[in-house]
Order: sequence, then structure tokens, then C-alpha cells
Amino acid sequence: MRAFVAMLGIGLTLSAVSGAQAYHRFWANCNYDAATFMTTMTRDAAQDYANAARYEGYQWGGGCWNYDDVDSYPNDPPEQTGTHGEGGDCSGLTFKTWRESTDGSRDGRYYWRALRNVHGPYTAADFRAGYGAPNHTVAKSTAGVMDAFASSTHIGMVFVRSLYGGDQIVEAKCEACGTNIFYRTYRSDSAYGGVGRWGWTG
Amino acid sequence: MRRPRFRSLAGGAAGIAAGVIGGVVLTSASTAGPTPVAAAPALIDATHVPPVLTARGEPIRLRFGLVCAPREDGLPCDGSGTVFVRAGQTGPFQQYPLRRGDESKDGRYFFDVPAAVAGSPDGFSYYAVLRDDATGAAVSIPSGGADAPQVSRPLLDPVTVELGNYSFGDPRPPNGRAAQASWGSGPEEVGLAGSRELGFSGPSSFDVEPDGAVDLLDSVNGRIERWNHAYHEDIPLGRTADLADVAAEPDGSFDVLDAHDTLRRYGADGSERWVQKLADRTWAKLDRGAEVLQEPSEQWMPAAENGAPLTRAEQRRAAHTAHHAVLVDRVSDGELRLAQLRGNAPVRSWRITSATPLGEVQLAEPVGNDVVVVTRAYTDDRDEFVVLVLGDHGVAERFSVASDSWTETAPLARFRLAHGGLYRLRTTPAGAFVDRFELEVPQ
Repeated sequence: MRAFVAMLGIGLTLSAVSGAQAYHRFWANCNYDAATFMTTMTRDAAQDYANAARYEGYQWGGGCWNYDDVDSYPNDPPEQTGTHGEGGDCSGLTFKTWRESTDGSRDGRYYWRALRNVHGPYTAADFRAGYGAPNHTVAKSTAGVMDAFASSTHIGMVFVRSLYGGDQIVEAKCEACGTNIFYRTYRSDSAYGGVGRWGWTG
Repeated sequence: MRRPRFRSLAGGAAGIAAGVIGGVVLTSASTAGPTPVAAAPALIDATHVPPVLTARGEPIRLRFGLVCAPREDGLPCDGSGTVFVRAGQTGPFQQYPLRRGDESKDGRYFFDVPAAVAGSPDGFSYYAVLRDDATGAAVSIPSGGADAPQVSRPLLDPVTVELGNYSFGDPRPPNGRAAQASWGSGPEEVGLAGSRELGFSGPSSFDVEPDGAVDLLDSVNGRIERWNHAYHEDIPLGRTADLADVAAEPDGSFDVLDAHDTLRRYGADGSERWVQKLADRTWAKLDRGAEVLQEPSEQWMPAAENGAPLTRAEQRRAAHTAHHAVLVDRVSDGELRLAQLRGNAPVRSWRITSATPLGEVQLAEPVGNDVVVVTRAYTDDRDEFVVLVLGDHGVAERFSVASDSWTETAPLARFRLAHGGLYRLRTTPAGAFVDRFELEVPQ
């Protein structure tokens, strides 16, 4: 019996090691359903969508989350898609919120539900350059609700402008900070450019 | 050493097998995630930019955005709302329904304030309640509702300041360096994290005490670095503080506000005294006295009183718009309005216009008989901070300050006004620096 108990502990330890190496598999909860083509896309519906992703975490290269307000796998090592944690990264969140196609030549509106695991073809730098049929650059001073500010490494969407001249930005920021609405000064920061999505209907 | 018997070997093998199987089962259960389905959350939020300072005769349209759980059909909320308005800051509110417009870029729900109310010499105060008609969920904005409504005041004979076209490229050098640290984790070093792909983060905020001591929030190493003239000390906080803000309190304690909307008060030795969540979902700036500029209310809320934390409801009830007796309203990219209050009444105001867009107001505080404002002029590819010292007759002093920084900081944490000077936090590939700019302001 003593040998059984001792080896039980070793076995549990071994299983934990293998579990850590396999990483998380939140993506096992995700699906690959087709997007729903939409004829409308309003800025406030996009606010609804991005706002619901708050607290759901950050995953480099990711684009899948649920709506339980908890990051199921926080603080993964950064810049590793293989961790398969919950949440989008900055460009994945923007791609899904902006209802874009995985085909960069299409500018239609494609509604991806939260658990649909899709990141889209664009990096933050791609958005900053206005790559893709649905995207374009805008003068930063004119950027409004659900337009975005992008740098070579990051993109965040304008949730609303603010009294002191900064913006409330909805963004998937980093593993430690997750996805949330933060007050940022990207608008006046020359590292960032203004980006918009064609096709808003209200 | 005793030779193992068959029964021991069998027991051990069974133990390893049971442990591995048990561990895998436990791991599978934990990695399945807490919620495998994307159930629609019962959430509601609102957005609003208040007209804090209004010009005489200006029509006032209050605009609100309503944010609900995303709908399966991808359409916006089926919402409605009521605004409660009164002339001045006392008396009963009149209630009006919000109208629902076709466009949501500036807020889909709106109300035109009656001219008699908008033109009141004491201004007007208001709050709104917005509802998701599909679920019945409602939200008040500002979050204090009738207890702490938003206040709008008229600009009384404002001093006009025209900045014109901003000329980049002539920043003023600082008068001195108050603190410096190279990157690292040793004494008098400051932590650097991140990568070229993710961007770098370093010290996210700082404060300057009345005697000139500089407190740098070493976010990566989880400590305060304190330079008191020639003396330096590290004060460990026991946790990292990515993109957090910091304020030094007069009793030697520190407040640290983190990216998860949690305010922590630390003793002078770095021991944690208390922890409190903010009332609203987003913060812009932390100041002394645990005062926090919070959104979506767009009000300053004290998070502590007499050294003890306030509950979230208490924070909401104590919300106010003026800070350091100064009201700020960045009306548009081309116009910034400020007013200085005495008691509850404006005594001086300024209307600053600029042909070059103006970004955020980093700081607006009185010094002597003047008010110091730090804002940022920007184009799509350039930006610089603009320092204005505003007096009775307009700009008493004006200069530019370089804005580039190698790492990201808390949003409104680049400047502090103390000890008769303006201090700026800046980072370069070599390290972090706090520089001092002398002001031509009689103290």
C-alpha cells in the first residue's frame, strides 16, 4: 500500500508534466463554422461584440472565446500560438469585430460568432497600412467609434472618445492585461496611424 | 537494503498507472474550460462625452451610446433611455425620453437640451438611464446617477488663446535631470519587458513629492524606486504593475492603480495596506488622495477617504467633474476649454483653439495665480507636448516638450507638477529618465 501511495504521487506528477507540455486546448471548445453573411453592420453592434470579449483573455494568433468573463488560461508565455488559450490577439479581435472575410479581396460583412476560431489574414502592421479590401487608412483626428489606431505591433479600436482628449480603446492588449477597454493616447502618438473599415451601415 | 517483493512492485506499478490516469482525467477536466458554449452574457454599458463647458448660445445635444450583449442577428441593441435634467445643481430633475437616431458614430441616443436650461447662468446638471428593452437591463450614466450627476457650466467671458499652426521640431531642453536609471533589475536600474514584436514596457508612471523626491514605478521589477536628492532606495511591492499608475501620498504611502482596475495602497516600506476595485470599468489617471478619473462616467472619483478605501457605491456618490478646481473639456481636435473654479463657481476660463489637432490633456493644475496645462499637438506622423501657462490675460508662458518615449506608460502619466517645476518621464534604449522644466511662475 505504501508503494502504491508513493507511486500514485509520482504518477500524478508525471501527468502534470505532460499536461503542461501539451498546453491548453481551450481551442478544443472552439468551432470552425462558416461565417454568416450580413447586409448590415453598425458601429454600436460592433461595440456590443467587442465589449462582450472583455475579460476573456488574450491569445497570440488567437480568435476564439466564450462569454463567461474569465480568461480560462491567463499568463501564457507571450508570442506563442501553440498555447491555444482563450481570447483573440489585437488583430484577431479587430478582424472578427469588423466582420471581415478570410479572403482579403472580399469586402462583405461576415459575422463570426465568439467560439468560431478565426484570426484572419491581417497583422497589426497590415491594418496600419490599410491592406485588404475592407480596410483603409483614415486621418487620426477624424477617427470615431469603432475606427482603430494601429502601429507596427498593435491595433486597438475606438470604443468612444473621452473628455480629456484620449480615447477609450477596446483591445486585446497582452497576456497579462487581456482584452478590455483601456484609456489610451494612441490618437496623438505618432507610432500609431488611423485605420477604418468600409461598409458601416449606421 | 531490503530486496523488493513482488507485491511491492505490483503496488508501485498500479500506483503509477492510477496516478497518471487520475492526473490525465483531472487535467482533461480542468482544460475543458469552464463554459463550452458561448452563452449570451447579460451585460450592458453606456458611453457619453459630457459637454462640461459650454459657450454662450451654443445648442447642446447630449449623445449617448448603448452597449448590450451581442445579438444573434448581429444588429444593435433594441434600446431606449431617459435623461434627467435640471437647471443649476439643485432641485428636482425633469425627465425626457432619449430619441433614437439612425447613426451610432457619435452615440445613437440623443436629447437636445432646452435653450432655457442650456442657457442657465448656473449651467445645468443631468444623468441618463439607458435600457436594453430585450432584457430589461439598465445602466445609469454617470454611474452615480442623481447622487452625482454630470455638471455642465457656461464659459463666462473666456480668455481666447489661438495657437494657430503648430511648429514641430523645436522642443525645449529640460533644465535638469531629477532621476535616471539604466535598464536592469539591480539597484538604481529599472525593468524592461517585451519585444520588438510586442512593443516594450518599462516604468509606467512616476510621482514627485513636495520636497522634490522622485518616485518611479518600476513596473517590471514590481517596486518603487525613490530618489531623495543624493539618497536612493528600492521599495519592493511584491508584484509587477504593467501599465499601472502611481501616486505618492503625503504620509509616505503609495497608491498603485493597475490595468485590472484595482487600486492598492502600500505603506512607505512597500507593505500592502488595502486593495479596492474602482467603481467604473475604465480609468484614465490616478492622482493624490486616491482620486481617479474614471470612465464611462468621465468624473473624478475618490477611491479612499481618511486613509481607508471607499466602496464602489461610495466612489460613485462622491464623483465630481473638477480636479484641482480646474475643469477640462477637450471639445474637439481644434478646441480645448478650461475653467478655474472657486468653490463651486467658475472664476476664470480659457478657450484655446488650434489649427493643428490637439490630443489628450496630460495635466491641468493651478500653480500660484496661473494654471499649467500640458496637452499634445499631433498630425498623422508627428507629435509634441505643448506646455501652456495660462493667466488672466492669456498665455503667460508657452513651450514644447519632446514626446517620444521608447516604452509605453500609463496614459496620463508622462508629467507631474511639483516643487515649483514640471517633471517629465521619458525612456530611451539606454534607460528611463525624469527631467525637470522650470516654470516662470511666481509661487
